[in-house]
Amino acid sequence: MIKLKDLSFSYLKPDGSPVTETPQLNRINLEIHEGEFVLVCGPTGSGKSTLLKALNGLAPSFTGGLLSGEIHFDGQNLTGSQPHEYSHLVGYVNQQPEGYFVADTVIDEIVYGSEQLGLPAAQIQSRLDEIVDSLEIRDLLDRPLATLSGGQQQRVAIAAALVAGQKVLLLDEPTSALDLAGATQVLNILSNLAHKKGITVLLAEHRISRVIAEVDSVLVVHGDGSVTKGKPESQFNDPRFAPPIIELGIQLGWNPLRISTEDAGKRWRESEHSTLDRKIQEPSSAIVEIKDLTVRFAETSAVSDVSLSIFGNQVTAIMGENGSGKTSLCWAIQGLGTRNSGSVILANTDTAKLSKDSRLDLIAMIPQRAADLLFLHTLAEELEESDIYAGVEQGTTASLFQKLAGRIDTAIHPRDLSAGQQLALVLSIQLAKDAKVLILDEPTRGLDYSAKRALAKQLKMLRAADRAIILASHDIEFVAELADRVVLLEAGKIMRDSAPTELLGFGSPLASQLAQISRTPGLISIEQVLS
Amino acid sequence: MLFVLAFREQAPWAKSIRFYVQLALAVILIRVLFRVIFNLESTPLYPVLVLPEINIDVGFGSTLHLLGSMSSLSLQSAFTDGLRLASIILAIGMANSLANPRKLLKSTPGALYEIATAISIAINLAPQLISSLNRVRKARELRGQSKGMRALPGIVIPVLEDTIDQSMALAASMSARGFGRQGSRTRANQVLVRTLGLSGITALTVGVFLLLISPATQILDLALVVLGVILTFLYIHLSSGRSLRTRYRKEPWRFGDFLVLTITAAILYASFSGVLSL
Repeated sequence: MIKLKDLSFSYLKPDGSPVTETPQLNRINLEIHEGEFVLVCGPTGSGKSTLLKALNGLAPSFTGGLLSGEIHFDGQNLTGSQPHEYSHLVGYVNQQPEGYFVADTVIDEIVYGSEQLGLPAAQIQSRLDEIVDSLEIRDLLDRPLATLSGGQQQRVAIAAALVAGQKVLLLDEPTSALDLAGATQVLNILSNLAHKKGITVLLAEHRISRVIAEVDSVLVVHGDGSVTKGKPESQFNDPRFAPPIIELGIQLGWNPLRISTEDAGKRWRESEHSTLDRKIQEPSSAIVEIKDLTVRFAETSAVSDVSLSIFGNQVTAIMGENGSGKTSLCWAIQGLGTRNSGSVILANTDTAKLSKDSRLDLIAMIPQRAADLLFLHTLAEELEESDIYAGVEQGTTASLFQKLAGRIDTAIHPRDLSAGQQLALVLSIQLAKDAKVLILDEPTRGLDYSAKRALAKQLKMLRAADRAIILASHDIEFVAELADRVVLLEAGKIMRDSAPTELLGFGSPLASQLAQISRTPGLISIEQVLS
Repeated sequence: MLFVLAFREQAPWAKSIRFYVQLALAVILIRVLFRVIFNLESTPLYPVLVLPEINIDVGFGSTLHLLGSMSSLSLQSAFTDGLRLASIILAIGMANSLANPRKLLKSTPGALYEIATAISIAINLAPQLISSLNRVRKARELRGQSKGMRALPGIVIPVLEDTIDQSMALAASMSARGFGRQGSRTRANQVLVRTLGLSGITALTVGVFLLLISPATQILDLALVVLGVILTFLYIHLSSGRSLRTRYRKEPWRFGDFLVLTITAAILYASFSGVLSL
C-alpha cells in the first residue's frame, strides 16, 4: 500500500543548510501493506510526526525542509505532491482535533473532505452512513463540535479523515489528551478499521503499554535518522521508549517478551515472584487547606464543594476523566483561577489574596501547556532570566535543567526544543523558585518513557525535601509509580481519596497494567518487582 | 440592533456584539468630550454648559482656547458626529455577530471560495487571539518576571506564535482534506476567470464611488456600475460552473434571513434614492 524508497528529510536553517548533520529521516526504505495496523514510536523529538507528515505532503509543504527519495501509494508515485493531492488517498488526524476542525457541527465537519473532493451528494450520503455507524457517532451528528468530549472529538476527526473513502489513516498522538475510557475506545475503533475494513493505519503514540498488543507491526523512528520496522516483540530494545510491560519482561528475563496484558499474566503465573510493598511516604504537616471550594463556569460547576488537606512530604495525585475538574481545581488552589466560594489556605493566607510575588514564592505551577511560560529567544536567556528572578546563583536553573534533560546547546530557540525538553525547562525554571507547593497539570503529555523516569526522579527528590506536590494526571502508570495518595474526581466532586495501591490496584477500573498482569493486591508499580 | 440580539447564536463570534456596543458608546462620549475641551465657539447666545475658559498661548501668535461656555447646538452637533461613527461601528459589529463565518463560507459561490476562506480565517483569528492572550497572561503570572525584563515581549511573542501556529494548523488541516484541489481547470482558463473577476469588481467600485460623489454625470457612472455587475456575474457563473466542490447540504433560508434582507434592501433603496434625487 505504502512504499518508501530512499526517503530522506531534513529541516533547513534560514540560510538553506540542513539543521543537523544527518537528516532527521535518512534514506528510509520500507513497505506497509494494505490493512496493516502500524505503531510508530520512538523517543520525543525523534521525527515521528515528521515521518507521518511526509506521508501526506504536509512535510515539507507546511513544515519547510528538504525531502528526497520516493513515496508510492498503491503504485502511484506521489513524491513532491501537495497535501491536497494526497487527500483522496490519505486521512490525517492530529493530537488536538479542536484546533484543526474546519466546521462548527459534527456533520459539516465530517462531509467537508468529500465536498472538497467533489463527490456527488448521494455518494457522500452513503459514505457518511457507513462511517458514522462504524465509529458509533450517529447520535452526535447535529451537535456543535465544541460541546463534544475529547474522545468524541477524536472519533469525529477520524470519521472526517476517512469519509471520502481514503485507504490510509495517519494519526499523530490521537490519545495523548484522552482519559482511559476515551483512549481505549479510540484504540478499539482503529483496530477494527484496520482488521475489518482493510484500512492501513499508522499510529504515532507515546503511551504505548496498552497499544502494542493490538498492532501488527511497530515502526521505530530512532532519532539518528534510521527507521526500523518489525514485530512488536522485537522492537523495544531501547529503554528510552520501552513501555512498562516490556521493562517488566526484560527485568524478569522473559523470552520471548510478552506484549499483551493477558499473555504477560499467564507468564507471570508460571513462576514465583518476590515483591516489595509499595512505599508510601508518611505525610508531614498539612501545608494547603482547601475548604468547601466551588468553581462554576456558566451553568456547569467544574469543582463543587471540595474540602481537602494537602500534606508535605507527599505526592498527591488528582485523577478523573476528561472534564472532571482537575485543571479547574489546580488553578483554584494556585489562586489565579476562578473561584465561586470556599477557601484555600496556605501559610495562614488565602492563596487568592496573596500578592503576585509572594504567591510565586509559595506555589510553583506548571500548566498543561508548559511552553506558554517561555518567551525569550534562546535557552541561555531563559536560564539566566530564571536565575535573576529567583534570586539564586547564576547557573542554578541550568544545572537543574541538565539533570532533567541532559546537555543541550544553549543557543537553541526554546520553541525548537522537543515537548519533553520544553517541559524540563519550565520545570527547572519553576523549581528554581524553591516554592513549598508544586502543582503539575498533566505533565506527562507527549513525554517518552525516559523523560517520564527523569521527571519522576526529580519529583521524588523534591518530596524528600518536604514539599507538597499536587499532580493532576490520567497517566495511570506514572501515578502508580509516584503517588502517595490518589484523589479521584468525578463531575467536580471527590469520589475517592485513598492509597494508590487501592485505587490503581487489582480489581479497580483504574488498575495499573502490572496490577492487571499480576492480579496481586497491593502490587501496582514495576519498582516493587524484584528480579 | 434588536434583530441581532434576537437572532444571534450562542457562539464565540456572537458575543463580540458587547464589545462593539461599548466601542460605539465610547466613540460618542469621546467625540462630545473633545468638543467640550477644544471649544471652537467664542461666546454662544444661549450657553447650556458654562465652564471656565482657559487660554493657552502656544507661541504662534494665536491662543488655544480650552473649555469655556457651550451652546446646546454645539453639543448636539458633536453628539450627531459621534453617532455617525458609532452607527458605522455598530453596523460592522452586528454583521460580525450575526454572520457565522463558517456558514458564510458554505454559502459563497465557488468562485469566491478562496477569498471567503481567507476572510473566514481572519475573522476566526480574533476570538483565538483573545483566548491565547488570556492563557499567556496567566502563564506569565505563573512565571513572574525579573525587573530588568520588559513586559511586552513576554506576552506578545507567545501570543503571536500561538496564533500563527493555530492558523497554520487550520490551513494544514484544510489542505490535507483536499482544499485547493483544482480539478480539470486549465491555467489559461484560471487566468481568464480571475481577470474577469478583478475587472468586474474594479468597475463596480469605481462606478459606485463616482455615483455617490458627483450628482452631475449620471449616465456614465450608471453604465460603469452596470458593466461591473455584468462582469462580476459572468465571473461567478463561469468559475462556479467549473468548480470541483460539491455541497452535501445547502443552508436553508429562514424567516430571519428574509427579514434582514428585506430591511437591508429598504435601507439601501432609501439612501440611494436620496443620492439620485439630489
